[in-house]
Amino acid sequence: MKRPELLTRLLITATLLGVVALPLWAWVSVLSNVEEPLIHASIAESGGWSPDVIQAKVGEPLHLKFTSDDVMHGFAVGQMEMQPVDIEPGKVSETTLTFTKPGIYTFFCTRWCGINHWRMRGTLEVSGEPTAPETVSPALYVTLGLNLDAPHLADAVPAEKPSAARGMGLLHQISNLPVDQSADYYRSHSPSQVFQDLSTSGLTDSQRWEVVAALWAQNTSPAALAEGGEIYAQNCAACHGETGSGNGVFADDLAARGEASMQAMSGSMDMSMQTPASFSDPQRMLGASPALLQGKILRGGMGTGMPMWGSIFTDEQIWNVIAYLYSFQFDYSK
Amino acid sequence: MRFNFLLFLLGLAGLVMMFAPLPVQSSPPVEREFRIEASQYAYSPGEISVNPGDTVKIHLVSTDVVHGLYVDEYGVSITADPGQTATLTFVADKPGSFRLRCNVTCGAMHPFMIGKLYVGPNLWFYRSAGLAALVILSIVFWKRSNQPTITAN
Ligand code: HEC
Ligand SMILES: [Cu+2]
Ligand SMILES: [Cu+2]
Repeated sequence: MKRPELLTRLLITATLLGVVALPLWAWVSVLSNVEEPLIHASIAESGGWSPDVIQAKVGEPLHLKFTSDDVMHGFAVGQMEMQPVDIEPGKVSETTLTFTKPGIYTFFCTRWCGINHWRMRGTLEVSGEPTAPETVSPALYVTLGLNLDAPHLADAVPAEKPSAARGMGLLHQISNLPVDQSADYYRSHSPSQVFQDLSTSGLTDSQRWEVVAALWAQNTSPAALAEGGEIYAQNCAACHGETGSGNGVFADDLAARGEASMQAMSGSMDMSMQTPASFSDPQRMLGASPALLQGKILRGGMGTGMPMWGSIFTDEQIWNVIAYLYSFQFDYSK
Repeated sequence: MRFNFLLFLLGLAGLVMMFAPLPVQSSPPVEREFRIEASQYAYSPGEISVNPGDTVKIHLVSTDVVHGLYVDEYGVSITADPGQTATLTFVADKPGSFRLRCNVTCGAMHPFMIGKLYVGPNLWFYRSAGLAALVILSIVFWKRSNQPTITAN
């Protein structure tokens, strides 16, 4: 065979192969696209996530593609360390997740898309063999037997924001104060209970409040407060307000719905929609223990308009956001 | 003859109205703060005015979904989520009027979510008002200059 002839034959063979291979490749990629359908996001009023149940296997990468049918949304999986994915109309965004533990996860919208934004949630079912048996301990409010829905107003409140720095000085000076510096004590006591416990200490009222502020400061750190503050800004401020005073951009809407639901229920025992709690109200906040706030945040208001966050945040994240909520009451500056 | 001269004067005045550089009142630059609420599909307030050289500080508060604010020709922008006020600071060193537009797709009518930034007096407004006054004046003159001929008959 002469060289030109050999080249020609090779070229023809390559072309023929290409003619067969290209459609095959296209077909296969269409097939694999079928396996990872586009997940559509839309506001809760028009259906939320579609589909809202996703299946996955432990250890196998899960590739997800999203688009939005209306406004900007976001995707993240609760209690999982991941970069939230922004989802915009007319665009396709992607992410790949790998799960190490089987279980039922909650995925949720991470960009505010209206008053019902937090209702935009779905489930991610991850199958596989459990690596270690999980021990689930009940939440602290259950162990303590707290009633989350009972009023919890403090009897006394300080004249001004107590300074944690001054309280720290008192803690160091006086050795036998009738308080406990452990995390358990902090979590199970409201600031006003600790103030009561200090009634035998011989300190003035404002000094007692300063010691309370110091104990609260000791149970958090600047880094934890910063993380709590970030979680608060992204998830809570639209209702509770950027300054914590319960006047977020959706507060008026919630109040209006509250009145409507009160009229609709007329005396039934269900919870009605309410205005968001003000964290700058000392009576409310100083009368609440961290365990009580944790219960409220884990369980939600059961119809009051306060969402449940139990499947979204880790325990640590919730303790950090609680520490941040108390920072509206105490002066943590040095 | 007299009428032609008047016409010439009016025309000249028109050209001056159109193109003369207005004496710019030079107020010392200050910082101006605005709180703009963004909701589907409008800004409130929808128009803001500053003087050239002012530092403009816009706090964008979103009350429903994620919105943005982009200032045409200045090329600066911010995005605000409900609950997370975003602040944009820039120096208004280009006089004129500029569009503010939402640069986050926020629903069906999103392309129509626009506002206005005026830097300096709204020259085109004054110029067109002046021109309109001139037109009225010339009509009056025209009527006047015609009248004697009518009465003479
Ligand atoms: C959609 C609006 C909304 C969002 C978002 C929201 N809340 Fe609430 N929250 C409420 C309303 C309304 C109440 C008052 C009714 C109630 O106590 O159940 C409330 C009450 C609470 C209480 C109870 C206070 C008390 O004294 O009993 C806590 C604690 C709380 N919210 C924390 C949070 C945290 C933390 C977040 C963010 C992770 C958050 N909330 C997000 C609406 C909201
Ligand atoms: Cu959403
Ligand atoms: Cu918009």
